[in-house]
Amino acid sequence: MQFSKNNQYRKYFVDRFGISAEVMENYEFFERGKSVWAFTGKYVDVEDMEAMGIRALRLGRGLKPSTAFLRIIGRYATKNVIEIDEREALHYLRGEDIDKNFAAEPGYVIVKFKDNILGCGLYKGKLINQIPKKYRFMDTWV
Amino acid sequence: MDEEKLSYFLQYSSIIPEFDRFMDILKIPQPYWIRVNTLKIQEDKLIKRLEKKGFVFERFGNLNAYKILSMPVKHPGATIEHSLGYYYVQDLSSMAPVFAMNLRPGEVILDMAAAPGSKTTMMAEIMRNRGTIVANDVSLSRIKSLGGNIERLGITNVILLRKDARKDLFGVEFDKILLDAPCSGEGVIRKNPWNFHPANEREHRYLREQQIRMLKNAVKHLKEGGIIVYSTCTFHPLENESVVEYGINKLNLEPVEFDIPISNLKGVDEWMGESYEHYKYFKRIYPHLVDTGGMFIAVLKK
Repeated sequence: MQFSKNNQYRKYFVDRFGISAEVMENYEFFERGKSVWAFTGKYVDVEDMEAMGIRALRLGRGLKPSTAFLRIIGRYATKNVIEIDEREALHYLRGEDIDKNFAAEPGYVIVKFKDNILGCGLYKGKLINQIPKKYRFMDTWV
Repeated sequence: MDEEKLSYFLQYSSIIPEFDRFMDILKIPQPYWIRVNTLKIQEDKLIKRLEKKGFVFERFGNLNAYKILSMPVKHPGATIEHSLGYYYVQDLSSMAPVFAMNLRPGEVILDMAAAPGSKTTMMAEIMRNRGTIVANDVSLSRIKSLGGNIERLGITNVILLRKDARKDLFGVEFDKILLDAPCSGEGVIRKNPWNFHPANEREHRYLREQQIRMLKNAVKHLKEGGIIVYSTCTFHPLENESVVEYGINKLNLEPVEFDIPISNLKGVDEWMGESYEHYKYFKRIYPHLVDTGGMFIAVLKK
């Protein structure tokens, strides 16, 4: 399956998170199947690519941003960013939801603790965890 | 470490300087090193955070590389900061081939045997996510771990491929190629002594053949005037000097002088009756120089 370029996806990050169009222009977006990839390299026409840059969005009923990409561009976001405290951050990184109201529009949000972009969340009156299992905090960690 | 494994290295007494020190250090577990991912965090900020958690570091020169002297966890990757992609656990010796690449903005690079991605992600960090790195590996499971590291570190200029670097075509020519070739892995024995199985002569020769096949394929995909950085993490000259001399004598590659900011010694000039004319161009990092793993590096120009 081929990657096809579609920079329309820049608009999603501008509209949803208030990231400037200038920042988003650093990224070229490529669709393949149900994934959208963000790439900052020079396009090289090699055969049989497995991946290109970083997965930025998943396509389904709507667009779902990836934690990995939000961890890169989240620092430029000006809206729909939920800031949590240290105790909440540990819960969130363990994969737990946070049952609390935040000043954000319903939908996907960027979850942040101080300068650390923790990743994606789904806000609908409470913060529903979207951190992939591979990034979750384990008891043996510090 | 068991004596049988250690005694395997006695064959190198004539080629490794300060051989007693070399043998002594093989008995001591290798310390962990980390590389701060400056794409995601400022170096001093990360170090302060980890020190607050109980890590003790020693910085190497002015590099973003730190030796861990002590830590509050069993594995240096068991932290939130690691999960956030703020650092990569990477031996100092494995950073050397990347320094030899002398990367420039906008270049198109092929990393022929890239997984699990320490060098790929380091190249991307130096290139500030610009230019392009085509990172290849033959194994699907290794590609997955490479992809995971690329994602964790926030690398956005890498194209992942799964090809057999010995024979498959990539369809384009590259400015520079890193061939960190699969090898007998003698240089990582301190890191993982349990998995180290000494190779016999036949196995070294088989690996040499595969390394030469990869080198031939690399030459096909290199632009005129471009460079190949050939490296392995083994000491055996058949997999190092012998392969590179083949490249010089049979593939018309030119050896290039280069510098790396890590203590090293020159290549081996002779092994088992085979002499290596260009040994002064090659570099070897031994564990007893700065308490790392082992590495061989050569730079060849087309």
